[in-house]
Amino acid sequence: MEQHPVYKDNREFIKALESYGELVTVQQEVDWDLEMGAIVRRVCEKRSAAPYFKKIKDYPGFEALGAPLATYRRLAIAMGMDPNTSIPAISEEYVKRTTGTPILPVVVDRKKAPCKENILTGDQADLLKLPGPMVHDGDGGRYLCTWHFVVARDPDTGAVNWGMYRQMVFDEKTMVGPVLAFSDMGKMFYGKYVPKNKPMPFATVIGCDPMSGVAACAPSPIPEDQFTGMLMGKPVELVKCETCDLEVPAHAEIIIEGEVIPNLWIEEAPFGEYTGYRTSPREPRTVYRIKTITHRNSPIMTISNMGIPTDEGQLLRSFSLGLEMRRLLESQGMPITGVYMLPESTHHVVVVGVRPAYSNIASQIANLIFGSKSSPWLHMVIVVDDQTDIYNKDEIIHALATKCHPLRGIRKYEHAAATPLYPFADPEDRRWSRGTQVLFDCTFPLHWPKSDVPIKVSFNNVYPKEVQDKVLKNWKNYGFKD
Amino acid sequence: MAQKEYDTFILKELDLVPEDQEIEMIVRELNPPDRRYKYRSIYVLAKISKSESKYPDRLWVRLGKGQLQEKPWSIALIKELNKFV
Repeated sequence: MEQHPVYKDNREFIKALESYGELVTVQQEVDWDLEMGAIVRRVCEKRSAAPYFKKIKDYPGFEALGAPLATYRRLAIAMGMDPNTSIPAISEEYVKRTTGTPILPVVVDRKKAPCKENILTGDQADLLKLPGPMVHDGDGGRYLCTWHFVVARDPDTGAVNWGMYRQMVFDEKTMVGPVLAFSDMGKMFYGKYVPKNKPMPFATVIGCDPMSGVAACAPSPIPEDQFTGMLMGKPVELVKCETCDLEVPAHAEIIIEGEVIPNLWIEEAPFGEYTGYRTSPREPRTVYRIKTITHRNSPIMTISNMGIPTDEGQLLRSFSLGLEMRRLLESQGMPITGVYMLPESTHHVVVVGVRPAYSNIASQIANLIFGSKSSPWLHMVIVVDDQTDIYNKDEIIHALATKCHPLRGIRKYEHAAATPLYPFADPEDRRWSRGTQVLFDCTFPLHWPKSDVPIKVSFNNVYPKEVQDKVLKNWKNYGFKD
Repeated sequence: MAQKEYDTFILKELDLVPEDQEIEMIVRELNPPDRRYKYRSIYVLAKISKSESKYPDRLWVRLGKGQLQEKPWSIALIKELNKFV
């Protein structure tokens, strides 16, 4: 069981952020119409502390937390670790916790569920009575749900899915958003409910504990409610919904229940997306009709602001996607030294370190990654050798520029499934979620004679150890301050 | 009564937008009496004009990626349509 701090809800996490100096409490009233979004955007771009908005114009009684997990420091805090923990160490801890037996959730009585403190039905269940922000100027609507997750259940297997599917408020009772056909919920809804013309019950969870949010971002085959338990080291507490048989985190701030409507589409977007652009067109998308809203007293919204890096979508998707790729490659016995997905690449680029044990190993790695279910979300695999630090951007760029042959080192994978959000994609390819992927093989060929293999010229590589030790020992004596 | 303001997203060439005909479209309310309802979307049957003064209410136009056009058009709402029945 857990040996680290566990935050059962967003409120405990807010206190932890504050204790580590990772929170700015904004007492001044802020406007939900662009101002709040602009603050969160600037926070993401400056890697500032998370803003905790205490007063929101037009919405007394509501509060909001912005950019809750937009940095590795805040991810470390969320996981109960020291904020200065390195990325590799956070990764190891994540893999350790999420390997082994899943931890089943427990269902608690509704009296023990703060999310039931207020239950709104009928006309009172009104999406516009929640302070959904206008996140960016030019967005297609108010995005109530940017850091949240949607709960749905497979009608055949009973499997539960938690996933982050953005939701735009259309009117009092309607939300709309993209549910891509290759996503977990897309396979469920478009594969199983729509052919039977059946609405799919859903519950949107806003203001969850941090580990539930991390789990909802993770592309793991383990159901997210169990994955959350693994991350926490103890079962997550759930409670039954009011209008359907779904269960939601009992300590969440706001729950929106309703149905996803088959064979009905409404225009959604544009929206400032995680790629750092407004890319996907305004077009008919999946419709959510709501029945009930439940919320805690003085509910605290959570807001992410997608744009140029780094926001929590980019950071956490990169983090968990990369580690899922690592699991995949390790399961196939690939001699990798690590996998890192650059958040700055908006999870489009994954770097794999490998001991080049045999020829064309990079191709085998790319084939596995591009054959996985998460592959539509990325299109570049960079394979480097075990002498390259996969977490060091300078070393990655150097390897790419010097070891990747412009002809035989670059291999294209055409006719791939792809997110329609790629800014570089042709409009027709976006419409049909089609794309191309590419491998950059930054390993020197094994068949080269040893005397032909270039030698890396670095302090660590071309000086005898005794010389390195002497220089390091005398560094300050030479007059250097660093 | 104060002039009502709406906006809409035009996804085709602006020259191809039919003026002075009844058309179905989605508009967003920009100055509702209760500010919490700003940006509420509605399906409407309406007539529009590129002239700012032809119809009683103001219509701001955005392109498909959200780009706001400099000059507003005008709109006359004929009725609200309920697409969810």
